[in-house]
This record gives sequence, C-alpha cells and structure tokens, in this order.
Amino acid sequence: MVRFENVGMRYGLGPEVLRDISFSLERGALHLLTGPSGAGKTSLLKLIYLAERPSRGMISMFGRDTSALQRDELPALRRRIGVVFQDFRLLDHLTVLENVALPRRVMGETEAQYRADVEELLAWVGLGNRLNAKPPTLSGGEKQRVAIARAVVAKPELLLADEPTGNVDPDIGGRIMRLFIELNRLGTSVLIATHDQRIIERLAATKILKLSEGRLATTNQAAHQPEALRA
Amino acid sequence: MNMRVLAPTTDLMPPDSASGTTLHTIVAVMSFLACLTLGAVLTLSRMASEWTEGLSGSVTVQLLPSPQIGGEDQLAEALRITRVWPGIFAARPLSRSEAMGLLKPWLGEGDVLADLPVPQLVEVTLTPGKQVDLAGLGKALKDQVPGATLDDHQRWNRELASFAASSEAVGWAVLLLITLATLAIVIFATQAGLQAHREIVEVVHMIGARDVFIASEFQRHFMWLGLRGGVIGLALAIATLFASSLMWDSRDAPVGAQYLPQLVSAPWHYVWLLLVPAITGLIAMFTARITVLRVLGRMP
Ligand SMILES: Nc1ncnc2c1ncn2[C@@H]1O[C@H](COP(=O)(O)OP(=O)(O)OP(=O)(O)O)[C@@H](O)[C@H]1O
Ligand SMILES: [Mg+2]
Repeated sequence: MVRFENVGMRYGLGPEVLRDISFSLERGALHLLTGPSGAGKTSLLKLIYLAERPSRGMISMFGRDTSALQRDELPALRRRIGVVFQDFRLLDHLTVLENVALPRRVMGETEAQYRADVEELLAWVGLGNRLNAKPPTLSGGEKQRVAIARAVVAKPELLLADEPTGNVDPDIGGRIMRLFIELNRLGTSVLIATHDQRIIERLAATKILKLSEGRLATTNQAAHQPEALRA
Repeated sequence: MNMRVLAPTTDLMPPDSASGTTLHTIVAVMSFLACLTLGAVLTLSRMASEWTEGLSGSVTVQLLPSPQIGGEDQLAEALRITRVWPGIFAARPLSRSEAMGLLKPWLGEGDVLADLPVPQLVEVTLTPGKQVDLAGLGKALKDQVPGATLDDHQRWNRELASFAASSEAVGWAVLLLITLATLAIVIFATQAGLQAHREIVEVVHMIGARDVFIASEFQRHFMWLGLRGGVIGLALAIATLFASSLMWDSRDAPVGAQYLPQLVSAPWHYVWLLLVPAITGLIAMFTARITVLRVLGRMP
C-alpha cells in the first residue's frame, strides 16, 4: 500500500531531515511511528499524504510510483488517505459538524448524504452536543477528536494520525485507540506517529517504525522489552 | 445578503474577513466613480446627437435690404421658393419684435434697437427624417432673391459636434483608467484575501479537493463581494446624479448645468449603469479564480 525506497527529504535548501528511508506498509497493517521530537515523524507523514515531495528515492502509493503521477490524479489519491494533523488544522469559521463533513463535501456529496454519518461519528467521539460549536471555543482534547472524526469520516483506506492522543485524558485516549483498532479490523491501514508510551505498550504486537535523526529502524516490539523502548 | 440562501452550505471562506470589508469599500468607491463617468459620457453622447438633430431640424433665411427689390416682394419671393423646396416642412417669417428678442441678449435693451436696421428673418423647419438639399436651396435663394442668404448653422453645428465628441473621448478614457485601476485593486485585494486564507486553501487541498472546487468556492465568494460593492457604488452614484439633475432641472439653470446627466428626464438612458456592478462582480470573480489556481499550482 505504501512503499519507500531510499527516500531522502529536505525542506528547501536545508539539510536532509529524512535519510535513506526504506519501509513498506501492507494493506490492513497497523504500525506505529516513534522517535524523539524533531526526528522527522511529521515530515515522513507529509511525504505519505503527498504534501511534500522527496528529494531523492522512490515512493509508491497504492501501487503507483508517486513521481509518475499527474497533478490531477493527486486529489483522488488523497481522498483514500485520512490524516489527523498534529496541529489539527480545523477551519475556525466552520462549525464542528461542517469541519468534519469537509472531506465528504469536497467529494461532491450534499448535506443530506453525509449529515447522518457525521452526527453519528461525532456522537461516538463524545461531541454529540457540540455540533454547532466553532473550533476556537473547544478544548484541546475536543479539537483533537474533531480532527480524528474528520480524518475517518470518508472511510479512508489509509489513516495517518500524528500524535492523536497528545491532548486527551487516558479515558478518551483509550476510546480513540479502540476506534483506530476497530477501523483497522474493518480493513483500514493505520499509521500512528506517537511517543505516547501507553499506546506503544497497548499495541504490543505491532510493528514499530522508529525514527531517530532522520534514519529509520524497523523493529518488532514483541522482540523487545518495553523498558528498552522507554529508554 | 444572506449567503446561506444562495449557497446550500456555508462558504469555505469566512464571511466577514478584514480583507472583505476593505474590498467592499474599494469596489464601491471605484464603482461610484465609474458610474459617474459613464453617466457623464452617456449624457454627452445624448447631447451631441440632440444638438445635431435639433440644429439640422431648422435653418434660417436672412433677408438684407437690397436696392434691387422691395422688402415685401423680397419676403414673398423667398417664402415662395422655400415653401416648394423638397423636404421643407414650413417657412415662417419672424416679426420684428421676435427678431429683436433674439438680439436682445447681445445688445441689451434700450433705444439702440429701435433705430437699428434689423434684417428680416424667416424660420424654416425641415421635415424630420428627410434629406434636404440645403446647399441647393441656398444657391436658389441667392440667385433669385437679391439680399437673401441661407444660414444652415453648419459652423456652429460642426463646433458643437466636435466639442461633444472630444468630451466624450475624454470620458471614455477616464472610464478606461477607472476600469484598469479597479482591476488592479481587485486583483491586489483578492491576492491579499487569499494570503489571509492560505490555511483554508491548504487544508482543503490536503483533504483531496480538486483545484476547480477550491477555485469555485473562492470565485463565488469574490463574485458576490464585487457585485455587492458595485451595487453600493451604483446606488450612491444614482443618488448623486438624481440629486444634481433635480437641482438643475429648472429653467434658470446656469449654462454648465446642461452638462449634468439628465437622469430625471431620461431615466431609460441610464440602464447602461447597471453594467458597472455586473462588471465589478465579474472582474472579482475571474481574478479570484485565476489567482487561486495559480497559488494551488505551486502546491504539490
Ligand atoms: N516546514 C519546515 N521547514 C523547514 N524545516 C522543517 C519544517 N518542518 C519541520 N522541519 C524540520 O524538520 C525536522 C523534523 O521535523 P518534524 O516535524 O518532522 O519532527 P517530528 O518528529 O514530527 O517532531 P515532533 O515529535 O516534535 O512533532 C526538524 O528538525 C524540523 O526543524
Ligand atoms: Mg511532529
């Protein structure tokens, strides 16, 4: 579904923030992406959701070499990917409901087509009573849940979540993780960038992509002790 | 205007952004100026055609005393020739007091006029819409009636026509400049507005919106903005023109007042002004579209 081969990336003329990245994400997989702050987790996700282009190497998405894609093919590809941005990126002048509905609206659906889904999803993340609130009036955790709802509302094939539990209490964090696991069971591939130890321990059996200083080490958590990961 | 009535869902653009207010004001001012200029140009072209029609609608035969012919014979002969000439509707001799009335503004009242030999004048009305051989009539009068000349106002006519034409040309040039300035300002404000909403464009782009979807959201927003600004400017301009033409519609209006658009007497003539808000709306719309597509083209 996603394959990186010797990918390097730099912002403008700056230094390479990602070096020699090679990995692949199979359909239906649930992977974690960890690493210290500044290691390049968000940058790696940007390459996957086609917001940045690699400065070298090859990236293949859904079986297509991204460097060979025409510009007008990108929107269709992006719609197969749901993203929970680290900084949420909600539109402040739209209501919670309108924010979550955006991906469906962009696909050309009418309010009648998406409204029920959106309300159900928002109720599920515990925001059923904040449908008409504007993001600036929400708490950090509420914004996070709106961002997650927006990422999954169009039932993407691949879900990318950048620190999805950074602002929520353990209870909500648990709910969010259960949502991700449930989506994964239904066939969505999930990649979660996090340094939340609770998540890392909870998903003990998953493959972990560990970034440090722009390089990647792929490990299988089962082979390690949790203590080693905390270090 | 309530956008929700027209658009099924909320605009992707915030409704009352700072750049929106600025753009409203600027478009309204530019539209106001454009409407006033257009009003003036329309008035000039109407006046030019009215002058031309009015002047060619009548000519004057002037009879100077001649030793070769008596005054009454001279008049009778001139009337006879003129009245049978093809295309002449009527010929009427002016009385001495009417002729003096015409001279009064130049000579003032007083005894001077009483002693002055005032030429006999014949007012000749042409049949409207008919081509009249005025040169031929002039020659016939000159040859057959001693002391008769035909004044067809050609010189006066030419001068007025060229004055009106050059004023009209200046008006069009001003209108062109205002249009160009409006274009530049709307482009500038649209780009500033887009810069302020770059986050929106980026997010919607990342979510998988096609460029044309984003462009159509922006162009709709800016079209209404341009249209509203244009209508405000038009309303202000009409109020101004209406007030000025009411003020000067009286008989004793000063000479300059006839250059003001006669909105009251010919309202239908000014329906062209409705074009101004339509054009500001279209300019804003296309600028937004082109600008958004160009900015999106730089995003991966
Ligand atoms: N837009 C940008 N322009 C230039 N440099 C950038 C940009 N975004 C990130 N960087 C740099 O790239 C490197 C990796 O940043 P990135 O955001 O990918 O880290 P991260 O692993 O997501 O960190 P965190 O856990 O704090 O979110 C950092 O050194 C950062 O300064
Ligand atoms: Mg990050």
